[in-house]
Amino acid sequence: MNIDGHLIAALLVLIGAILSMIRAAAGPTSYDRVLAVNVFGTKAVMLLAIIGFIGDRSGFLDIAILYGLVNFIATVALLRFVETKRLT
Amino acid sequence: MSESVVLRTVGGMLFPYILVYGLYVQMHGEIGPGGGFQAGILIAAAFILHSLLFSPQGTDRLLPSRLVDIAMCSGVLLYIGTGVLCLLMGGYFLDYSVLIPSDPAYAEALGMTLVEIGVGLTVASVILTMVRKIRGEAT
Repeated sequence: MNIDGHLIAALLVLIGAILSMIRAAAGPTSYDRVLAVNVFGTKAVMLLAIIGFIGDRSGFLDIAILYGLVNFIATVALLRFVETKRLT
Repeated sequence: MSESVVLRTVGGMLFPYILVYGLYVQMHGEIGPGGGFQAGILIAAAFILHSLLFSPQGTDRLLPSRLVDIAMCSGVLLYIGTGVLCLLMGGYFLDYSVLIPSDPAYAEALGMTLVEIGVGLTVASVILTMVRKIRGEAT
């Protein structure tokens, strides 16, 4: 019964990830795309946490934290690239 | 972008946490997910974030390229040194259990940690050097 709730939550997060990917593909400006990729990263963090709870493996939380940190760096680098067209 | 106060503040706050998390992944790698490669990438990512938010010159002052070169070589040296030490003490290459004959299990953990630290040092400094090269600087 408990696992069913987790599965529903994971499915909802997956739907949100798909929606944000659609926005990333269709977004009119590059800022929309950067924001969509950032939202997708947040969805991935939540999905990792939920999968960790379903499988009862606490190691997934470590990966989720790592993904969150790298996601922030990727967003900063993408914004830097969009703004100045170079990565320095 | 480097004059954005919000990004600089948040990034400056996050920088030490990424470093500490890298060290955690390095040291906790035998039990949880992680290890030398992942920790090296994380530590390099922290310095890449620093060079994105502040200037590359600021990162150079924090971590001179000469130090990166030394870390790259000493990481490989640590890995090979551990292996050759096992060889010299009568075992096979990277056969850790001969390091401390009275306590092979502890020696196993010690050797694995030493090798992982070598891998982490090398990966972090190689990634930083690659980023520097891509940026078009002479090292």
